[in-house]
Parts: sequence; C-alpha cells; structure tokens
Amino acid sequence: MPIPTLTQSVVITLIQCLLVVIFVFVVVPLTVFAERKVLGHIQQRLGSTRVASGHIGVTGWMNRGMWKWGRIPILSYWRGIPGLVADVLKLILKEDIIPAKADKFVFFIAPAISMVSAVVVFAAISFVPGTFFTFPTWFPYLGGLPVSGGIADINVGLLWILGVASVGVYGIVLAGWASNSKYPLLGGLRSAAQMVSYEVPLAMSLLAPVVLTGSLNFGDMSARMATGLPAWGLAPQILGFLIYLTCGFAETNRLPFDMPEAENELVAGFHTEYSGMKFGFFYLAEYINMTVVSALAAGFFLGGPWLLPFGLQGLLNPYLPSLLSWFGQPHAIFFVAKIIFLLFTYIWVRGTIPRYRYDQVMSVAWKYLIPMALFNLLLAALVRCFAV
Amino acid sequence: MNKILRTLIPFDIAKGLAITGKHFAKVFFTANRRKVRYHIVSEYPEVVAKIQPRFRGRLTLLKDEQGEIKCVCCLACEKICPTQVITIEKGKKEGRKMPFPVRYDFEMERCIFCEFCVESCGFDSIILNHQFELAAYNREDFSLGMEGLGQNMFEPSPVGKFSVADD
Repeated sequence: MPIPTLTQSVVITLIQCLLVVIFVFVVVPLTVFAERKVLGHIQQRLGSTRVASGHIGVTGWMNRGMWKWGRIPILSYWRGIPGLVADVLKLILKEDIIPAKADKFVFFIAPAISMVSAVVVFAAISFVPGTFFTFPTWFPYLGGLPVSGGIADINVGLLWILGVASVGVYGIVLAGWASNSKYPLLGGLRSAAQMVSYEVPLAMSLLAPVVLTGSLNFGDMSARMATGLPAWGLAPQILGFLIYLTCGFAETNRLPFDMPEAENELVAGFHTEYSGMKFGFFYLAEYINMTVVSALAAGFFLGGPWLLPFGLQGLLNPYLPSLLSWFGQPHAIFFVAKIIFLLFTYIWVRGTIPRYRYDQVMSVAWKYLIPMALFNLLLAALVRCFAV
Repeated sequence: MNKILRTLIPFDIAKGLAITGKHFAKVFFTANRRKVRYHIVSEYPEVVAKIQPRFRGRLTLLKDEQGEIKCVCCLACEKICPTQVITIEKGKKEGRKMPFPVRYDFEMERCIFCEFCVESCGFDSIILNHQFELAAYNREDFSLGMEGLGQNMFEPSPVGKFSVADD
C-alpha cells in the first residue's frame, strides 16, 4: 500500500471533510422533514404534504403534481419534500434584523459558535474502523490510496468531543445575553443551568465505556464495546445507554427538556430576537447536535458499525456461520442506520412526553441521573475488574 | 418504594412510547390506502370533502315532479328569518291555484345558515343543500334570485375557479 505524501494526505482529509459535510447536510434536512411527518403520523395526521397553500400558480402546479405522484405508494411519503426548499429559501432571503440595543459583535458571533461547536465534533467520530474505501488506481493524483473511516480518529477523541460539545452552551448563553431582551436572557440562563447540570451525568455515563475499554479513542472504543466485552458487559451498557440518551435529549434542548425555548413561557427562548439566516444557524446547530449525540450513542452503546447493539456482536460472532460473515463485519451502513433510528427516537419521544417543569428537570439530573450514572460506573468497574 | 422504582425504571415512558409508536405505525402503513386508512384528516382540495347529512349549506328552492316551484308564498320563511335575507313577492300564474313566487330573493352575504326557514316551511319547498364552497370575488354574486345563469336559487352556486375539487 503506497504511503501518501503530505499534500496527498491533506487532499484526502479535505475529501473526508466534504463527505462528512455532505452527510450532515443530507441528514439534517431529512430530519426536519421526518419531524413533521412523524409527529403528524403520531397524531393521526399526514404531516406536510404540500408546498405553501397555493392552488394556483407554481405552488398549485407542484401540489397537484405531488398529489398525482403520491398515488404511487412509496412516493406518497415524500410529498412534502419541496416544502423544505421553500423553508431554506425563506431562511436565506428573510431580512436579518439586529435589535438596536443589542451587543452587535456578540449577537453576530453567537450563532457561529453554536454551529461550529456542533459540526467540529464530527472530526473525532470514525464511521467505520480501518479503511472506508480505496481510490482506484486510475484515479488522478490519489490512485491506490486508502481513505480511513474517520477524519481524525485521535487518541483523546472522547475528551475532544465532550470539550467541544460543551462550548455549544456559549452560543446559547451569549445569544440570550446579547439580544438585550428579557425572554432571551431567561432562556439563556435556563439553558446554562440545564446544560451544565446534564453535562455531569452525560460525561459520567460515557466514563463507563472508558472504564470498560481502557481507551479514549472513538474507533477503538466502539470496536471494543461492540466485540470485545464479556456477557457481563451488557448491564452497564444498557443502563449507560438509557442515562446517556436522557442526558443527550437535555443537552440538545429537545423536548421533554425544552427549557431554553419553552414556547408558551418564553416566546422562543434564546433566539427570540434572531431572524433570517442567524436563526437558521441555531436551527441547523440543534439538528446537527442531535446527529452528533445520536452518533455517539450509536458508537459507544449500540455497537457502532457492527450490526448488533450492546456488545452482543462479540458474543455472537464465534457462532456466526461463514455464509453470514458479512453481518459480522463492520459496515458504515449499520452506523448510519443506527444514527437514523436514534434520530427517529428523538422525534418519537418528542411526540410522546410533555415538557417537564423546571424544578423537575433539575431534580431528574441531580437526584436520579447522577446517582444512577455513578452506580453504572461502579458496575462497569466491577465488570472490568473481574470479567475482562 | 413503589414510587421510587417507577421513577427509576421508566415504565410509564415505555407505555407512552408504545402507544405513540402504534399510532405512527398504523398511519405509516395505511397512509396510502383509500379503503383502510387510519389517519383522520382529509386531503380536501384534492379529494372531495365528506359531508354529514345534516350539514347546512346554501338555501335552495325545490321544484316538484312537473317542474313547478313548490313554494306557495306563505311568507313563513321570510317572517322567521333572523337576519331578513329572504324577500318574496307574491304573484299569480295561469293554471295554478296556489300563489306563485314572482320574486324569491336571497342575500347570502348576511345569511347565518340557521335553517329556521327550512324548519318553518310547511310545504317542504326549500332546503339547505350540501354546498360549502360559497366564496366569491364580488358582492353581487351573493345576491341570488330566481333568474340568472348558475347563480340562481335552484342550482348550486358555481364553485370558484381556485378550487380543484372538480378535477
């Protein structure tokens, strides 16, 4: 296998970044669309099925066309998709209002912070161990070179992920403060308290995989969590997964922990004063954060690129017949499928559970989740001590 | 103890998720099927809306089998109408014993669709039909009489061209 030169490896890394960005910007709009559809289906509605509400003109023509195509069974689920284009166009073309008394620079920088801290986490996530694909030899400049499954699968990946993800709080708090308005400030303060509280059980639930695998590298951890654990490892994995998922909902400010933008109390919370593409950045950051949390949950607890969750793959693999060995191997498609399932779970939970009261949110974090996370850590330590 | 257990182990959340998941799956797998469908919304402009038999639409004059107007100008509907949108002018017609309405004007813009007129009519000569797409661009289109193309008291009002229900 040829060793890439410095420029070649830079080009390969850029290609990886491009792939990840494409992945994110394909998954995020589809999540927005799926949110409308799934919430609708849960409430026995059909979700979005048309563009605007026009019966005449271009939108009317599109609506009639979508109605005709929707008679073909599978296409009917996609009838609302053109509405997404309208949504994005609206966000881009809308007037960008900055309040007169706002702190201009901080107001400008806050959406960027939350967006960047959401995207940058993907650097340390490896989608598949080893080589993702190899360039064919006829490919110009990069022929025969392998592309690894993650952009930078660094040794301290988990530290990087947790550190950068917690910078995202700054985006929300600064947005609330810089708007110079009551509701955004309240929303920002609430979110600061909530996210700082939930960071603790989140990190503790991720400590269990660290203890079990003895590594901080994302790819290494997901590989060992999926295939290298004894049967006793199931208990701390399942408990840790539930704790992690709960904290993940709170970290991404999704319902039922929808404190920062409690619609019926705080108008729209921290982004009340934002409009246009700045609001769009917060919106994007929320959905990218959801994808990140789902990717971490999939990687650490649901077996990452392996098929079976909770380390069952490692228990099953010795008994797998050679005919089905494809299912015993890691594939990026399994990882993506798990991310998509977890994103569905996000919407599913949103459609099921009403929002908690503020004191309930805090008591869930401090009274229940932290002791449970400590107990989970103890379980993991016992498994590590006696079974591994 | 029971309460703590129920807090620690999310039974209730699992129950709720099962309910919503069941609804989601049912709607998801039957969204396409006309006959067996689980969703409760109608796709109105594309599919003709289903109307209950008791729906109160626009006032309509009825004719009997011979094509004669059933109305005998007893003026009961005109008297009982709370918004006074009905104006009837009595007249005579050759070969008919009962009085005959020369004019039967109905101003829909003020009508509240209360169905008092139909209830008061002793000859079953008027009904409220099942039409609800009654919007129009001009105020004159709401004044209905015995004459006029389409916009008369005997036939349903023409549906506005913005609707695609007829396709």
